[in-house]
Amino acid sequence: MLKARIKRALPGFDLDVEFELNRELLAVLGPSGSGKTMTLQCIAGLTRPDEGRIELNGKVLFDSASGINLPPQRRKVGFVFQNYALFPHMTVSENVAYSIRHLTSSEVTEKVERLLNIMNVSPLAGRYPKQLSAGQQQRVAIARALAPDPEVLLLDEPFSALDSQLKERLELELLALQREYRGSMLLVTHDLAEGYKLGSQIAIYQAGHIAQCDTKQKVFAQPVNRTVARLTGVRNLMDGTVSRIESPYVWVHISAWNAQLKVLTSQGSHLALNQRVVVGIRPEYVELKESDGENVFSSRILQSVEGISSVTYRFHVDADQQAKHYINAAISKSSAICVKDGQTCLLYLPPEHLIVIPE
Amino acid sequence: MAQDYLSPLWISLRTVLTATCITFFMGIAAARWMARYSGRLKSVVDGLFILPMVLPPTVVGFGLLLLFGSHGALGKLLLSIGATVVFSWWATVIAAVVMAFPLMYMTAKGAFEQVEPNIQDAARTLGASEWRVFWTVTLPLAWPGVAAGTVLALARTLGEFGATLMLAGNIPGRTATIPVAIYFAIQAGDNRQALVLVAIVLVFSFSALIAIGYWKGRAPKTRGFLNN
Repeated sequence: MLKARIKRALPGFDLDVEFELNRELLAVLGPSGSGKTMTLQCIAGLTRPDEGRIELNGKVLFDSASGINLPPQRRKVGFVFQNYALFPHMTVSENVAYSIRHLTSSEVTEKVERLLNIMNVSPLAGRYPKQLSAGQQQRVAIARALAPDPEVLLLDEPFSALDSQLKERLELELLALQREYRGSMLLVTHDLAEGYKLGSQIAIYQAGHIAQCDTKQKVFAQPVNRTVARLTGVRNLMDGTVSRIESPYVWVHISAWNAQLKVLTSQGSHLALNQRVVVGIRPEYVELKESDGENVFSSRILQSVEGISSVTYRFHVDADQQAKHYINAAISKSSAICVKDGQTCLLYLPPEHLIVIPE
Repeated sequence: MAQDYLSPLWISLRTVLTATCITFFMGIAAARWMARYSGRLKSVVDGLFILPMVLPPTVVGFGLLLLFGSHGALGKLLLSIGATVVFSWWATVIAAVVMAFPLMYMTAKGAFEQVEPNIQDAARTLGASEWRVFWTVTLPLAWPGVAAGTVLALARTLGEFGATLMLAGNIPGRTATIPVAIYFAIQAGDNRQALVLVAIVLVFSFSALIAIGYWKGRAPKTRGFLNN
């Protein structure tokens, strides 16, 4: 288990985070420059935190109170760098064998073969890193990091330089690896979908602190604040006040539209009448309707962008007097209702997909 | 006669080889230390290391003479164990090392700073000691730059004149290196000896350049001073 409490002053903001990680994959999500990479460097011992304590499986790696600061060599922390950082003057097998020269040569050969096999790069054993593609370099980098049997594996934006097909394949391989390796992994990414697919836990970073850290389902279903909601892809956020509570439903009055929204929520007991809240919905959950009803609003299409399987629309709700609140909707192309730019149509916001965030 | 003609060649060869070896290791050690050192005195130490390069060689030679002379700090120390440096063969080595050191130091430091920090950090997270990181990662990756520095240092030791003359003088068969011997041969009107020595230096230097060019062409393309 990895326990970390890290404080470090950075230009522009201070990094101040605390989290725990069991035998699972924690995906660290957040905008670039929010301190994600710095966190990994502190855990690996490549950067010294100003204050805090880092403990890995009962062993103290860093403790500012008692002055402990193990060098990276003695931490048993595997690190996969964003640019792979392979040794360019060594072959693939020499790269992987670099950390295990205390073993006998037959053990080294056996281990290198096994790791290259797991990462599907066995035929490349004799090549040099610059003869490899980015995806192959990434696989070798992971094999090399796993060779000394690290107690935690840190991955810094490992797939950011890969094309989407390759990325998808490597994501699957990493998932399989995590299942087999059964150790702790910490993955830094700014890709929402990737973080959700790979992580079982998600930590949302925001300007140097963790805004929310929980299971991925919880983080995506119940973001704690507006920023987390926006960072996790809830692109529609409306201000309102609670007007009626009738478990399991809550009605929220959206002032800009002068309308009621019915929300299905398990949060009902935490809310009070007239409390200020934000209601959010992901664009994929917005639907089109043919007849009026609950949670249905007449709106005009301002813009539409056609994607591969869905069309993304930007709607303007007619009732909105201020004319500055929009609804973004990603409507599947298989949807029966067709709409065109400038047309008026009926938007349905399903109560079960609406998220209420207390302000 | 032939031996007198050629004695500067043997003295120079021994001086160049010894001085280049010493400069190589001192330069690398200093460069590695300074590439990682970030104290307040960084620019002062850096300046001290490079100083011999910007000073006139006679000034450096005079400084060395004061230091190693019978009244100098190091001179007294050496005298107490019964050794004198001034006007001995070792004086040619010391003068050459001091004059060539800045070139080796500067080039090697630049080469070490060019090595990507992530690659060295990767080696550290893989459990390699700082010593092993240096010998297996940093030095091999900085090698083109280090090699260039060595060539520059070697050329400097071969051509060293001013400081050598001040510290080692011109004792035929003992301290008269090729450049010093050429100067005194011409002073004495012995153009023939001067020409023989000049021809030797030309052949030596030109073959060295051709050899480096050949080696450079064969070496794998890596980032660095020589291969840019």
